[in-house]
Amino acid sequence: MDKIVISGMGIISAIGNNCMETLDALKASKSGIDTIHYLNTSHTEFPVGEVKLTNEEMISMLGLTASSVSTRTSLMGMIAVREAIETAGIYNINQRCSIISGTTVGGMDKSEQYYLEFLENDLHKEYIKTHDCGACTEMIADYFGFFSQVDTISTACSSAANAILLGAKFLQSGKTDVAVAGGAECITRFHLNGFNTLRILDCQHCRPFDNTRAGLNLGEGAAYIVMETEKHFLERTALTPPESQRKIYAYLSGAANTCDAFHQTASSPDGKGAYMAMKNALHNAGLHPSNVDYINAHGTGTANNDLSEGYAIEKLFGNNIPPVSSTKAFTGHTTSAAGGIEAVISILSMNNSLIPVNLNFKEKMPELSFKPVTEYSSNDIHLEHVLSNSFGFGGNDTTLIFSHHKRS
Amino acid sequence: MVYINAIRQISAQKPLTDEWFDSPIYYNEPYIRAIDPDFKQYLAPNESRRTGKILKRALITSREACKDTVPEAIITGTGLGCIENTEIFLDSMSRYGEELLPPTQFMQSTHNTVSSLVAIDIKCNSYNITFAHKGISFECALQNAFIISNKKHNVTVLVGAHDEMTPVYFNLLKRTGYLGNTNQVFAGEAAVSMLLSTKKENSSMCRIDNIEKYYSTGRNFHLDSSDYKIDAVMTGINGTEDNDRVYYENCNRWFPGVPMLRYKHLFGESYTAPAFGVYTSAICLAKQLIPEFIKLHSKVNNTKPINSILCYNHFENKNHTFILLSTCYE
Repeated sequence: MDKIVISGMGIISAIGNNCMETLDALKASKSGIDTIHYLNTSHTEFPVGEVKLTNEEMISMLGLTASSVSTRTSLMGMIAVREAIETAGIYNINQRCSIISGTTVGGMDKSEQYYLEFLENDLHKEYIKTHDCGACTEMIADYFGFFSQVDTISTACSSAANAILLGAKFLQSGKTDVAVAGGAECITRFHLNGFNTLRILDCQHCRPFDNTRAGLNLGEGAAYIVMETEKHFLERTALTPPESQRKIYAYLSGAANTCDAFHQTASSPDGKGAYMAMKNALHNAGLHPSNVDYINAHGTGTANNDLSEGYAIEKLFGNNIPPVSSTKAFTGHTTSAAGGIEAVISILSMNNSLIPVNLNFKEKMPELSFKPVTEYSSNDIHLEHVLSNSFGFGGNDTTLIFSHHKRS
Repeated sequence: MVYINAIRQISAQKPLTDEWFDSPIYYNEPYIRAIDPDFKQYLAPNESRRTGKILKRALITSREACKDTVPEAIITGTGLGCIENTEIFLDSMSRYGEELLPPTQFMQSTHNTVSSLVAIDIKCNSYNITFAHKGISFECALQNAFIISNKKHNVTVLVGAHDEMTPVYFNLLKRTGYLGNTNQVFAGEAAVSMLLSTKKENSSMCRIDNIEKYYSTGRNFHLDSSDYKIDAVMTGINGTEDNDRVYYENCNRWFPGVPMLRYKHLFGESYTAPAFGVYTSAICLAKQLIPEFIKLHSKVNNTKPINSILCYNHFENKNHTFILLSTCYE
């Protein structure tokens, strides 16, 4: 089967508005989590990882008219997709190009702003139509105008990872020539309050895999990768001038999704779904646990996730656990976008020979045998295979494996 | 080869049976909620009370479609997800502020609550994906199912199409022009569960030969209609001029002379209504009968064998989907 290459990527989150800024923050171990600035909420006690731009600033960056109908999620999505397709050089592609986007809150930012008015009058009725998840994907697709197929995946916090997994399936089954896959999600009052009713938000900065962890910090952002078969990439770029410097950022060598089938919002105590997702993705890639050089964990900082994921890692990797870190303390938990954001972070780490630090870690969890990475180092690091986990409500567990070189 | 081996539905027609095919119910109201089966037969009272309508319907249609089979994948399409719980949470937050909000409604508000609850119910730990893309949510799910099972052996996939419609949301969508227009079929609710398998069985209703989706504001929307040797086109004709004109124009262009069929006058309009188009077509192929009440032109003759039906759906003339179904009788 043809290898899947990643030929472009774009990202926006609390730690930067593009790949370069993101990389700088990772190298400097600089978190983007702060007190709430942009979201209109009474719950100012919770730190969050907001994108450091207003909607108006994003509208201006994108060259949209001030009156254009958009949501915060779609604006972040447009910014990240634009960087992804520019780096890949597919702006003028004359072939089938599919966009697969993950989101769950969709246009909820506008719905919660105007809900009572929706019920009373027609002043903001254009935002009734932008409420659903698919509307967000179509606003992004329509900004670029060349996508010939659109799909929206909504599996909560694994949405973007599943979009990437589906992109690979589309390419391998010949349903498309190029797939742009990832996810976008802004912070809304709706899910900030929802997570608060579940008592899983921390009033301090989140501490993934730490014994004193007390919950997650919400984040927001968008990230997309451009995927194509290696054959397609080589044929396409053979025709472009050499100075355009198109390159293969990484290979997607394996992916798997499983369902914990345990509880609507909690993970099973033994991490059954997480274990199977990692195991199946390695099998899909034709790799062994010992081949993995770094795990970018889901690591939300909730009591339940980190223990469950930790057990799953121990079960699969035994006494040979590779370096593990969660980057949630940089970006906050970007929910539906997390799989895309962490895919880009994993590939940036691989291409720049670094392992992001698991920020805010102090005290080892007594239940687990391992500690996450706490010291930044970029000496003698070669990441050949990186495993990235994204787990969502409903026990929806997805693992992606990115590789530096082609595997035979 | 991928076959549809079972379909169970809850809709404006009699639930969990194909009886409507002999005696359909017609409605004149603009908005009809589904006829629910007796939930007590399927769920304990406390379980039933805690579980939203869309979830109960999904559980029951899934159980009935799967029987004893545990599928290799559960793939769900839903345009709006658990909109009733979303609405309760949103309404409460908008009116009374950000304190004392109900956790249960939030927990059951995400779109993939449906698919994950079904997975818990039928104890399925494998692939579990939810698509939420407006009026093609079901086709996204079906295409994913087709891709993961086509050319493989012994793969069984449960595909669901689930949407509930609340009175409040009906009124909102009426104002956007999507529902409740003059002459439009009623706004309905959808709960359809289909068991797909690579293995043909006695119960197999039809075969899925292909599924294609096009986004027409993108480039490259070109349907090579000569690929399709079909006996009928199942359309999403719903009584509104803008919607129906697209079907008439495109069917005349691509499939001149091929009889056009419809189903939305029986099942209503909803984001996942196209699942009823596949359901209706599957029964026609299985029974080798196209009843008069789904024909757009009554002069269609019934004598020749019905070998294949193309389900063509468009959403706002932007998304166009094509599902080719064939008889599985040799």
